Amino acid sequence: MMSAGLRDIELRSRRTELLLVATVLIFSIPLILGYGLLILSSFSKEMVTNLNPHDFIPTLRNWILFFEGRTAVFGGIRVNIWHIVLNTLIVALGVSFLVTLVGSMTGYAVSRLKFSGRKRFMALLMLLHAFPGSVMVVGIYFLYLMFLPSYQLVRFYSFFFVIVARASLEIPMATWLMKGFFDMIPWEVEWAALVDGASRFKVWRKVILPMVKPGVAAVMLFGFLAGWMDIIYVRTFLVDQTLATWIESNINAEYSYLPLVAAAGTFYLLPTIIFFLLAQRLIFTISATGVKG
Amino acid sequence: MVVVRLVNVTKIFKTGVVGVKDINLTVNHKEFMALLGPSGSGKSTTLYLIAGIYKPSSGKIFFDDRDVTNLPPKDRNIGLVFQNWALYPHMRVYDNIAFPLRIKKLPENEIRKKVLETAKMLRIDKFLNRYPWQLSGGQQQRVAIARALVKEPDVLLLDEPLSNLDAQLRISVRAELKRLQKRLGITTIYVTHDQAEALAMADRIAVINNGRIIQIGTPEQVYSKPATIFVGGFLGNPPMNFVEAEITEEKQGLYMLLSGQKLTVPKHYEPLVRKAGLRKVVVGFRPEDTAVIPECRETGECIKGRVYAVEPMGREYIVVVDLGGDLVKAIVPRSLVLIEDQEVCVCPSLEKLVLFDPKTEKSLETLYAEKT
Ligand SMILES: Nc1ncnc2c1ncn2[C@@H]1O[C@H](COP(=O)(O)OP(=O)(O)OP(=O)(O)O)[C@@H](O)[C@H]1O
Ligand SMILES: [Mg+2]
Repeated sequence: MMSAGLRDIELRSRRTELLLVATVLIFSIPLILGYGLLILSSFSKEMVTNLNPHDFIPTLRNWILFFEGRTAVFGGIRVNIWHIVLNTLIVALGVSFLVTLVGSMTGYAVSRLKFSGRKRFMALLMLLHAFPGSVMVVGIYFLYLMFLPSYQLVRFYSFFFVIVARASLEIPMATWLMKGFFDMIPWEVEWAALVDGASRFKVWRKVILPMVKPGVAAVMLFGFLAGWMDIIYVRTFLVDQTLATWIESNINAEYSYLPLVAAAGTFYLLPTIIFFLLAQRLIFTISATGVKG
Repeated sequence: MVVVRLVNVTKIFKTGVVGVKDINLTVNHKEFMALLGPSGSGKSTTLYLIAGIYKPSSGKIFFDDRDVTNLPPKDRNIGLVFQNWALYPHMRVYDNIAFPLRIKKLPENEIRKKVLETAKMLRIDKFLNRYPWQLSGGQQQRVAIARALVKEPDVLLLDEPLSNLDAQLRISVRAELKRLQKRLGITTIYVTHDQAEALAMADRIAVINNGRIIQIGTPEQVYSKPATIFVGGFLGNPPMNFVEAEITEEKQGLYMLLSGQKLTVPKHYEPLVRKAGLRKVVVGFRPEDTAVIPECRETGECIKGRVYAVEPMGREYIVVVDLGGDLVKAIVPRSLVLIEDQEVCVCPSLEKLVLFDPKTEKSLETLYAEKT
């Protein structure tokens, strides 16, 4: 709706454009191949990862087994796959919600309020983001032990632990991202709304929030995917399984039937693919600022 | 029915920068006041103080007898057009204009009526369905004015609203805006750094420099009787000429020596010069109040000089004359043929010239008025 399209402007010649596309394609071949073979295998009796066309025997059985919650063709344990999906969703949505809430508020504060130590705070956030999340698992575990008695580390609370821990890893980046979006809003637009009679809250809700919508959407998506994909924190703190841990445990199992795992993997990829398509529209929307150059 | 009054208003920013200092300004009901000054002089700061966006560090602001110094912007019923317009980019033109009314929770059909009316008045009713970035600069500016006017404000504040328009559009919008203001009768403060705009539009002009108001007066007063050298040099195109002169006393009266040549001190200035006891003055005279003649007479009314350059301006010529090192400009009719390095005589109109004190750079009238 607000895309002041660059389509009308000739940025590069046809030839450079073709060259660019070709380069991008070449570098993405391994990725595309990997995912392609995974998806193909999920519809086949045998894994097709050997690139042997005879391996491909089309079938839907893997998917049926997957939705039945079977982990092997014969025998194996049966699980309620929808329960696992629900767990994954709880974690992903929880992380997404927390990251968006805290990230956008901190981002606003860092962008708009000139408190002392602001620069150092921003640098600290960067540093926090630079630490790999897995390094902190042990620390976080002890932190939790310190603040909450261990007998509470069960079922319901375990979601809380995972979500808070995982979200806190994403919040630094979300804060930076949101700060960038808030920085783009000129003070004058905020003031205009104040002069027009709006209260601080109305200014935030009717003027600022709509202007940073692409940023909020991006942070929401990244938060969701972070929760959806997380494995270390889920395995450490969650009593139940999510898709990630479930797939992982089935890869290693003796009875594991790989085409079935491929189906699970493909299913697991779905949100990433869907969101990626959505995000392209959302994030690459150029929002004109309505302020003269 | 609002008189805006600023009393000793000072704004010092947290960074220590002085935005404005000791501003005293009264804008009368229905008056069109121009706030004129160079970049960074504190014009926007003054406007934001009146709007309530900035809080003054000291001093008070009144709307009529109501002290609004600590009132938030939303309670001041002000229309403000920002320097960069500050339209809401995510709203269509219609919603931009309707925004202040929606905040007031007016019924939607009344909003519709008012928005259409205002849009028609500013001739933007064709664009109501567009987004701001789909409009030209001139159209966006009208939207900003419409948004400020639609709520029928008591005070209209305009921050260089025409600065982004091309020269021709600016001149036509300028006349339009002036008519509109008179028709609506809203107390208006108009910020500009363009002296021609201020002269053309305002009932009164307040000249501001370095955060201080230097002179307030009608365009005529500010133009012909500048209070300081700065004001004389800031208004007019080309601006006022300034030449230093020494005062000498002779039998017939006081004279000013400009590069060794005599110019009579105008009669009405004699008491002022004597009272101030000045040895030196700065003579200010406007190019259009200056005659250039090829032949000189010894009358104490003209100074000999040499033509430095001639600039044809279409309607008239601007002659630059070298008066023993000082370059001065004069506007002459096209019929007068002058060539470079020709010797000419420059005769500033003695009634219209203004004398300044070289130390304080204030006009002698101002100096005298301050002393009494
Ligand atoms: N928020 C602020 N913080 C610190 N200093 C400021 C701030 N706003 C303005 N200033 C300073 O105050 C002085 C006056 O600024 P102001 O914006 O009022 O100038 P102006 O007359 O509107 O200039 P222009 O014609 O360029 O818009 C300038 O020196 C400016 O740098
Ligand atoms: Mg300004």
